[in-house]
Amino acid sequence: MSFAIARPTSHEHAARLLADGSYRLPVLKAGGMDVVDHLKENLIDPDLLVDVQPLRPDEPGGAIHHIETENGGRVVFDASTTMTELAESEVVREHCPVVGQSVADAATPQVRNVATAAGNLLQRPRCWYYRRKQFDCLKKGGSTCYAVEGENRYHAIFGDGPCYIVHPSNLAPALNVSDGVVHWVNRDGESHRTPSRDLFHSPREDVESEHTLPNDAVITRIEVADRPASGFYAVKEKQSFDWPLVFACVQLDLDGDRIESADVWAGAVAPVPWPLPDVAEALRGVRITDAGAVREACANAIRDARPMRDNGYKVKLLPVAIRRAIRRASGRPAHDLFDGEE
Amino acid sequence: MADETTHLPTHMPIENRPRNISRSVNDHTSRLDGVAKVTGRAAYTRDRYLDNQLFAGFIRCPWGQARLESFDRERALEVDGVVEVELQGRSGEYHGDIVGHIVAESKPALRRAMNALGATWRRRPSLTRLEDDMDDPPDVNAATRDLLSEAEHVFEATYTTPVQTHACLETHVLVVDHDGERATVYASTQGTSVVNEQVAEPLDLPQSKYEVVCEYVGGGFGSKFPIGREGQLAASIAAKYKRPVMCDLDRAEEHLDTGNRPSSRSTVRIGVNEDGTILGGRIHTWGGTGVVQRGGGVRFPSGRFDFGEIQKSHHDVSFNGGAPRPMRAPGHPQGAFAEELMVDEIAELVGVDPVEYRKRLDTSDARREMYDLGAELIGWNQREATGEQRRAIRRGFGVGSTTWGPNRSNAECEVVIHQDGSVEARTGTQDIGTGQKTIMGVLAAEHLGVPLRNVEVRIGRSTLPAGPPSGGSVTAPGTSPAMIDAAHDARRQLLDAIAEQEDLNADDLRLEGGNVYRGDERILEWSRAVRRMRNDRITGRGRSTGRDDPHWGEGHSDGVQFVSLSVDVETGMIRVDKVIAIQSCGRVVARKTAESQIIGGVIQGLSFALYEEKLLDRWTGAMVNPDLEMYKILGSRDMPHIVPVLWDKGQSGVRSLGEPPVIPTAGAVAGAVFNALGRPVRDLPLTPDKVLAALDSQGGDA
Ligand SMILES: Cc1cc2nc3c(=O)[nH]c(=O)nc-3n(C[C@H](O)[C@H](O)[C@H](O)COP(=O)(O)OP(=O)(O)OC[C@H]3O[C@@H](n4cnc5c(N)ncnc54)[C@H](O)[C@@H]3O)c2cc1C
Ligand code: SF4
Repeated sequence: MSFAIARPTSHEHAARLLADGSYRLPVLKAGGMDVVDHLKENLIDPDLLVDVQPLRPDEPGGAIHHIETENGGRVVFDASTTMTELAESEVVREHCPVVGQSVADAATPQVRNVATAAGNLLQRPRCWYYRRKQFDCLKKGGSTCYAVEGENRYHAIFGDGPCYIVHPSNLAPALNVSDGVVHWVNRDGESHRTPSRDLFHSPREDVESEHTLPNDAVITRIEVADRPASGFYAVKEKQSFDWPLVFACVQLDLDGDRIESADVWAGAVAPVPWPLPDVAEALRGVRITDAGAVREACANAIRDARPMRDNGYKVKLLPVAIRRAIRRASGRPAHDLFDGEE
Repeated sequence: MADETTHLPTHMPIENRPRNISRSVNDHTSRLDGVAKVTGRAAYTRDRYLDNQLFAGFIRCPWGQARLESFDRERALEVDGVVEVELQGRSGEYHGDIVGHIVAESKPALRRAMNALGATWRRRPSLTRLEDDMDDPPDVNAATRDLLSEAEHVFEATYTTPVQTHACLETHVLVVDHDGERATVYASTQGTSVVNEQVAEPLDLPQSKYEVVCEYVGGGFGSKFPIGREGQLAASIAAKYKRPVMCDLDRAEEHLDTGNRPSSRSTVRIGVNEDGTILGGRIHTWGGTGVVQRGGGVRFPSGRFDFGEIQKSHHDVSFNGGAPRPMRAPGHPQGAFAEELMVDEIAELVGVDPVEYRKRLDTSDARREMYDLGAELIGWNQREATGEQRRAIRRGFGVGSTTWGPNRSNAECEVVIHQDGSVEARTGTQDIGTGQKTIMGVLAAEHLGVPLRNVEVRIGRSTLPAGPPSGGSVTAPGTSPAMIDAAHDARRQLLDAIAEQEDLNADDLRLEGGNVYRGDERILEWSRAVRRMRNDRITGRGRSTGRDDPHWGEGHSDGVQFVSLSVDVETGMIRVDKVIAIQSCGRVVARKTAESQIIGGVIQGLSFALYEEKLLDRWTGAMVNPDLEMYKILGSRDMPHIVPVLWDKGQSGVRSLGEPPVIPTAGAVAGAVFNALGRPVRDLPLTPDKVLAALDSQGGDA
């Protein structure tokens, strides 16, 4: 319960510190929202905090750029870009709205002002058994998943365990519908790129971690493709200081109001960002104005859902979230239900 | 000096403000300590870090029921800075149950020692909800059976509410500054006088050798009367080592072991005739009281409605959870939720508008008038018939009622005029965030006849005149008459001194705005007036036992609340749009703090209706949400437009205001949801899963 704080001069330097064998448990800290939570709840006991936050550019939003490329443009932003910066960026709004929307209403303004993009991706799950020290669950090296028999109202409806967390990042599925790529360096100063779709693994592969990066990886920047017809929608119990019950990220290729092709990912429903290829497939050729056809396509989302005792409601919410994300992706408000028939 | 200014909620645009209902003494005064509080200058008990201080913390059971199997006391004692490690017990009956404590020189050392102790526990099966162990209700008696068989309809339903915790922003804490001979006890308490009495024994000092100080309190809501285990420990450690000590609970401990509003279950069988007449019936309630089997009473029926002949019974049920403590209107909100929703359901059954039905059933004339005003302000005429809407977002309107007191209490106050013209208003009672300090100043200034800026309010000390504990909403009603008497006494003494020296008749003199007048002639300004006193000060004294005091006044604190909301039937999300809260509280001393009490009550009521739930894991008995993230509390973006309307018709004196506004809100919300959906949701909190489930049970008619 005491640690040194290192202020590296570069990401490579940070990676070297993470690999430095003279420390028992070096931990990288960006905004610190999740790292400090872990410290407060007594869940980690690092002897070194590697603080990469000072490496960020001083100017707000200064790290978000749009780059023209041969096959369409790409938006590139630093790992340290805050959720607020993403939400408020004109560049993001114009070229890849799903990214800005995914973080715009998450958590609270105070959290969004410090929480970084990389930290958001690699934050640990919020499962209440994981977060309380006395539960020695699978994820913490124990032999049981307490959620199976216990309180599972906020847990996964997809994936076959053995751990039933929902992946906590709003940003990750948004990157996935935007051809997102995560750039990182390691202790040797090598640069790597990992498509965001390959960033997370199922708990069946390794229940104690969620992502695929090595221990000495330090994310430097993130890039996404131009996805102007993309959108996000979350259903939340509370509008302040809360997590989504389910959310959806959608990107559309439109020909007029006809969907040429679509990409659909869901969040807060599985231990990893959850792809919904069947929905995407069913949306092909559908007119976005044809509410019946859209509804039918979205109903495919829950075909393979296997809810636990207390989270069956998520099965009802998921198609709704997708429909509303589709509306936002096509530039309309999430719903106009005040007068419309159900 | 009560002026006729209109009574306008300040946060509303002028054109939206409701019409004047009440006259207040002071429409413009802001909380006297508001700036100190929002700038952090106000030193709360938790802020008292002292030289040479020890820190004490508890070893607690992490499961619903468990036995301590092993621990390494020696290892914990070896941690640098650890002073003592004591284990008193080996078994815990609920998550948070105390089995021992550790004392250390610093908080990090305390934490390291907790880890080093390495306690391991053997878990045993536990009961986690009242439903796990409740008995059947007693049989319906013969009279009730007859009555039910005569009725044209028998309405049956069961309503439940979860455990709600006080969730004080300032967690429970006691700090003792012990200098070896004497002590100052810093308490975060609703009862400075209670702490003064209870701390004597563990502190092992005569009461003359310590002072209890409680200047600011970050919320209590009923959980901060006794000194608690943290107070006992801090005081006894201070006595033992003759050193300053802090014992403060963390956020999890605050949820686990500082009391709660017990869970409730109410089941009803009510006989109703086609014309809406309620003949009577049976109401049975259960209270889920954690490890103790008491304190779970449910105020249902409340007595606000005429339900005919009711056979009422109640059982307290224990399970492996922390014990309840009184919480803002104990027993009332859970009862009112069931009662108001039941009234709405019966109104629907017999085809009567819920407001009209209440005007028939309600036992108070004041509330009958309030229903009309509230209906107008909320726009009740836009309410559509229950269950008739087919839109995906449906609007709902609901209404609830409340009553309180009057309860009496004893108080002593002093108003001291110093020779330099400064004035002190003094009483030992505390301001738990209600605005008590502010109203003491306002009353002293007004009844003495000096500007408020001359008055320094001193409260929250055991060495000040005895003031009441803040419970039962008696603090303002109890202290106000005494403060008025004290101000009058001080004024009388000053005017007597002036009259004597100037050779005038004191009865011809009056004090206003700091000036002394004889008739319309100003004969002395304040700075000269105070020079006429014989000693360095004048002390005016007031003492009230409540009802006998001429300033006590009369009347109940009645109220009604109206809610409008929308329900998104695709997601089950409820958004509360507006709450009209009409509340009588007698004479309004300071309008802003009075309205703030109402707004705060409504917020707590909404939060109870929509979000809050202490959730014990059914497998291990541990609370899974002992934080402010997953223990959900209404936040800024969930706030509706709340319109407090102060009402003082038919009343005089300062009446209770702290508790009554928290009572009706959840029932009004539930009624509005019923109106929107055509289906009641009878279990709090009204979360999306339950709303969707209710819609499902509607079958084909949605
Ligand atoms: C009440 C509340 C509600 C919330 N609601 C939401 C929500 O709805 N949706 C949502 O997505 N999030 C939500 N959050 C979580 C919040 O967004 C994350 O905690 C935050 O984004 C983490 O970012 P950070 O920079 O503070 O990360 P840190 O806490 O600094 O780090 C988190 C993790 O990322 C690693 N890391 C950070 N930067 C790098 C890097 N450059 N390279 C490699 N590893 C790195 C750290 O080592 C650590 O493991 C909520 C949080 C709170 C408190
Ligand atoms: S869902 Fe995962 S993190 Fe939660 S208890 Fe189960 S194994 Fe642990």
